[in-house]
Amino acid sequence: MSAQRLISNRTFQQSVSNSDYTWEYEYYEIGPVSFEGLKAHKYSIVIGFWVGLAVFVIFMFFVLTLLTKTGAPHQDNVESSEKRFRMNSFVSDFGKPLDPDKVFSHQGNEESRSLFHCYINEVEHLDRAKVCHQTTAVDNDAQLQEAIRGSRRAEEELNRLMKFDIPNFVNTDQNSFGEDDLLISEPPIVLENKPVSQSSHKDLD
Amino acid sequence: MKHIIHTNGNVNGTARNTSDCPHVALPEEMFFIISIAGVLENLIILLAVIKNKTLQSPMYLFVCSLAVSDMLGSLYKIVENILIMFRNMGYLKPRGSFEATADDIIDTMFILSLLGSIFSLLAIAVDRYITIFHALQYHSIVTTRRTIATLAVIWTFCIGSGIAMVIFSHHVPTVLTFASLFPLMLVFILCLYVHMFLLARSHVRNISTLPRANMRGAITLTILLGVFIFCWAPFILHILLMTFCPRNPYCTCYMSLFQVNGMLIMCNGVIDPFIYAFRSPELRGAFRRMISYC
Repeated sequence: MSAQRLISNRTFQQSVSNSDYTWEYEYYEIGPVSFEGLKAHKYSIVIGFWVGLAVFVIFMFFVLTLLTKTGAPHQDNVESSEKRFRMNSFVSDFGKPLDPDKVFSHQGNEESRSLFHCYINEVEHLDRAKVCHQTTAVDNDAQLQEAIRGSRRAEEELNRLMKFDIPNFVNTDQNSFGEDDLLISEPPIVLENKPVSQSSHKDLD
Repeated sequence: MKHIIHTNGNVNGTARNTSDCPHVALPEEMFFIISIAGVLENLIILLAVIKNKTLQSPMYLFVCSLAVSDMLGSLYKIVENILIMFRNMGYLKPRGSFEATADDIIDTMFILSLLGSIFSLLAIAVDRYITIFHALQYHSIVTTRRTIATLAVIWTFCIGSGIAMVIFSHHVPTVLTFASLFPLMLVFILCLYVHMFLLARSHVRNISTLPRANMRGAITLTILLGVFIFCWAPFILHILLMTFCPRNPYCTCYMSLFQVNGMLIMCNGVIDPFIYAFRSPELRGAFRRMISYC
């Protein structure tokens, strides 16, 4: 901005010596810009910029859509069909898959937390009974950390299984019945004829 | 910014050939309406989070930080318009010392809003990333105390950078630093979200959903990033052109659209609550309760 000031100061002095310009409101004006001899259209930067931006966003959208069709192969190779079945049954039992946001952000969510840890127990089929028993209280992070630290492999497997939710938008992905508005859709509430899911949703709310 | 205050008024008495690319002037009422809408929306979000104990979790603190920076941006526009109106009515001198100081202060506010917005979006993306990939340790990694400390560091850095940038605004490295923050941040956020998206998509596929659900995720992500890009990129290009080619006729024609670019930043402050804050059902419920009490 002071570069402009310098330029306008210089032109100011020239113009004072020349003639009758009033520079009072031209303090930050750049000075005469000649528009002769333009090879391209004068708004070419504007048009080029906006077209480039639109192309970039559309390209990004197509890349994301392509990702939905082909996906990340390494994710599928690791998960066995058995775990997939367990995941499906978990989801259908509890209606809405656990939202890590709700589980970890709301202190008073005892029930969902205990459900969560019982799920760990159920899925892992390891000696995780202590995890389930110990963690029915609200703030048992330390004990949970101990139990989890006890077996890294179980935790990694659980991470893979639990990674099905993104705050604020994967909820809409789960709602395969929804034809709601893109941005402001409610998270999926129930799958069909699952009264358990309704009560768990009310608790989570 | 400075040249807006001084060129928005009566540009007269010049023999310069500006008729080819006249400055596009938007009506002030439009600026006022959009700025006031932005301030009100973000104020509602702040009130909802402050009044509700259950909403005081790290995720919502980051959303609050975004709301504060959007509100600062809208306030900047309101204050600037008021100063321009005073200048047009003759209460202010075009080059007085008070005006220059006021100009610097509101420039600082503007840069603060920009930087705050950028870092808040980054913090929200990182928070979501930790939620997904470190789901079990989330509660011990992202505690409320650490969140507040992170936000304090972010805002101190933004205030310091804002003051430094206004003081050194005429140096080229300042402009380059400022302009390069934007693409760096964009690339980083893009990587985070794409990684999260891949994981969500791979899980969702296992639960036999319609392909439409995956399409919706892609659309949501495109909207999140697209709004950010569309609102910020025009202004960033403007300051780059202003620094490097102020006398080029092509650049001048682009810079004649400065008010439109500024308007887009205001629109970002208005749209952001809808794509970040109001998508959360808890916040919507708190908002409805607030409305029903009034």
